[in-house]
Amino acid sequence: MSMLVNPRRLDDVVILDLSGRITMGEGTLVLRDRIGKLLAAGHQKFLLNLADVDYIDSSGLGELVSSFTTVRNQGGQLKLLNLTRRVQDLLQITKLLTVFEVFNNEAEALKTMT
Amino acid sequence: MTSKRRRSFELTIPSRIEQMEAVHDLIAEAVKAYKLNNEMAHWIELSISESMINAIQHGNKADPAKQATLRISSSGDAIEIIVEDEGCGFTLDNVADPTDKANLLKPSGRGILIIRSFMDEVDLLPREGGGCRLRMLKRLPGMDGARPK
Repeated sequence: MSMLVNPRRLDDVVILDLSGRITMGEGTLVLRDRIGKLLAAGHQKFLLNLADVDYIDSSGLGELVSSFTTVRNQGGQLKLLNLTRRVQDLLQITKLLTVFEVFNNEAEALKTMT
Repeated sequence: MTSKRRRSFELTIPSRIEQMEAVHDLIAEAVKAYKLNNEMAHWIELSISESMINAIQHGNKADPAKQATLRISSSGDAIEIIVEDEGCGFTLDNVADPTDKANLLKPSGRGILIIRSFMDEVDLLPREGGGCRLRMLKRLPGMDGARPK
């Protein structure tokens, strides 16, 4: 199953509900393309909801990092929401939990996106 | 390992990322045949996928004239995975630590770390005739070691 991205907006925050697999190739390209277009349209605050992402590989992790740095370099914010245990394990192993702000509750995450 | 060797699986592909679909299909067939639980199957799939992508991209430099080979076998007590490439290869010791603060924001370099965090044994040796041979072993003691270390 390839990755699907469903964006929704709450005030000035774009929540991207991701589902499927974020892997080398199509999965990473879809995410890069979608965030690039939203940035170009002037959006700067992103919350990636990974609740339905059941598989992510090192390229997918790399794309999350690239998205994070791209958004941050443009003065924006990118945070993660609802990690599955497997994705949480991968972020722990790779120490990316020290890079990303991670939330289990959407309302709480939105409160931090000032 | 005991001599309870079960069915083995093998696949040789040209070095193109598009061929990874066939790799995932073979892994699915193997984990089903070995009756692995979902957690073990997930980490086995991820480790094999990372190693095959390494073989294609770093070993064979994505040269479709060069091939990458995957072998999966099980004794019942462990799963052994062999991945071979035809490239000039790399050593496991000279891979930069992706958890080092200086490397944390790099977009690549995490595959070997992921493999090592899950597999019980990981060895990279020169392959007869050129290239590299990566051997990985995951023991299956009641599946309780199904998550990465």
